[in-house]
Amino acid sequence: MTGFLILEMRRSLRDLRYLVIAVALPIGLYLLFTGLFGSHGQRAQGLSQPTELMVAMVAYGAMWAVFSATGSRIAHERAIGWTRQLRVTPLSPVAALAGKLTTALAAALPAMVLVALTAVASHDVRLGAVQWLAMLAAMWAGVLPLALLGLAIGYLAGDEIAFPLTMALYFALGALGGLWMPPSVMPHAMQDIGQALPSNAVAELGWRIAGGQASVPKAVLVLAAWTVGSGLVALLAYRRRNTLSVH
Amino acid sequence: MPAAPPEPETAQQASQDRPAVRAVGLAKSYGSTVALVGLDLHVAAGETVALLGPNGAGKSTTIGVLLGLLSPDAGQVQVYGRPPSQAVAGGLVGAMLQDAGLMPGVRVGELLAMVRGLYPQPLPFGDLVGLADLGSLLGRRADRLSGGQAQRVRFAAAIAGDPLLLVLDEPTAAMDVQARQNFWRQIHGFAGRGRTVLFATHYLHEVDDAADRVVVIAAGRKIADGPPAAIKAEFGDRQVRFTLVQGSRARLAALKGVRDVEHDHARVTLHSTDTDATVRSLVRSGLAWSGLEVGGGDLEASFLRLLGEGS
Repeated sequence: MTGFLILEMRRSLRDLRYLVIAVALPIGLYLLFTGLFGSHGQRAQGLSQPTELMVAMVAYGAMWAVFSATGSRIAHERAIGWTRQLRVTPLSPVAALAGKLTTALAAALPAMVLVALTAVASHDVRLGAVQWLAMLAAMWAGVLPLALLGLAIGYLAGDEIAFPLTMALYFALGALGGLWMPPSVMPHAMQDIGQALPSNAVAELGWRIAGGQASVPKAVLVLAAWTVGSGLVALLAYRRRNTLSVH
Repeated sequence: MPAAPPEPETAQQASQDRPAVRAVGLAKSYGSTVALVGLDLHVAAGETVALLGPNGAGKSTTIGVLLGLLSPDAGQVQVYGRPPSQAVAGGLVGAMLQDAGLMPGVRVGELLAMVRGLYPQPLPFGDLVGLADLGSLLGRRADRLSGGQAQRVRFAAAIAGDPLLLVLDEPTAAMDVQARQNFWRQIHGFAGRGRTVLFATHYLHEVDDAADRVVVIAAGRKIADGPPAAIKAEFGDRQVRFTLVQGSRARLAALKGVRDVEHDHARVTLHSTDTDATVRSLVRSGLAWSGLEVGGGDLEASFLRLLGEGS
């Protein structure tokens, strides 16, 4: 099990799609947006532009990191029969599933930390040590429902559509979730939708903590609901694929 | 989470005391399609057994049941005295499945090291590399191999845990002649360590390359069980065809290996259990012939003939 987990993680970190979309793209977008919008405006939660955008891009990178380690990768492994080969080894199906989830969450961390380091290095973003830890920890925990969503796609979707589907979801959750532009500039109806999305809720946790607000926000409830919902779908999809059958 | 449940006994003890496979009365249907009808299968520890049958005979279903991937509708199956899923979880079984692939995005060496780590008593890495002839492939990406190379790595993954029972579902389906010979040499190498091997095939000629015993199944039931030579004699309907230019047709039935003679005007078809012997004795017979063809070995045709005789 440990060897399986280590190899899965090593493989995730070497994945070009992961490196480009989960790590390079959020860093690039961060530098682009801070350049376009300037470094001095006030944004959500009274945060400075560079801090607000940092949180948004931490959420954005983390989201693709968990998607890249689940959705299309699992669908592909099912299609080429690797999942089947693993089933005739002593690795239990439950351990394999737990390994996938752990790997996805682990893949999020480097993507998050590298965006934060970019913000510190390029725009001198400053938070207290406890604030940094709390922000990264809360946002890391917050990607759990997104990882479960990725698992659900991996066990439901076919090999051809899993990647475009995950990609579309990633862009939609990014745009509607207010990661590209502040939710406040969007129409009210879209703001309401946005606030119910896990992408926005992850960023909201980060914005609140970076802004020094300790109250338990609605975002926690949104994430809890998504965790239950996507967790159930993932479990049902997984069980459907692993009931005894020839294919 | 533990990689394997605790082993109450060593693998060696398990192999001495119990048959490798003991399946009784297996039945399985997919909707209205009947795959197995009361199949019995016994494999003693250390035996190499071929499961021979035409496409759709129930070979893959049988293997799926033995590996715990499928649950039978009726019947019992034990692998080294345990339910199949427990035998797999305990690392007693390795398998090379027809539609199984390799982990993408990793090197062959990394992949095999990981698979070894899943088993309680894996093969030493050097032995594994030697048995599967992998030396040059270890640094290659597992998802960028040719068909033959991937097959070698899949074989290596199947034996990495040094399983007591190795199960192979039509392992040579995509191989050329040379690759097949190499493959069966590797299987001999593994079986020679006292391991049990069960393989499914629809190539009749493979059974005497590899098997101690052949179990023939058709339409979901066992129709024959015996040593390869006997099975080949019974099922190996190969034909020698030629045009008889001069000589007595009556002498044809006396040629070596001939079980049946057909004529279409001067064109003769000899059904033979051993086409090499038939051709040699034809050459020596003094008969004048032309347009020689050797063909068949077609199991499907044999089964059709056999099922036709049975009804």
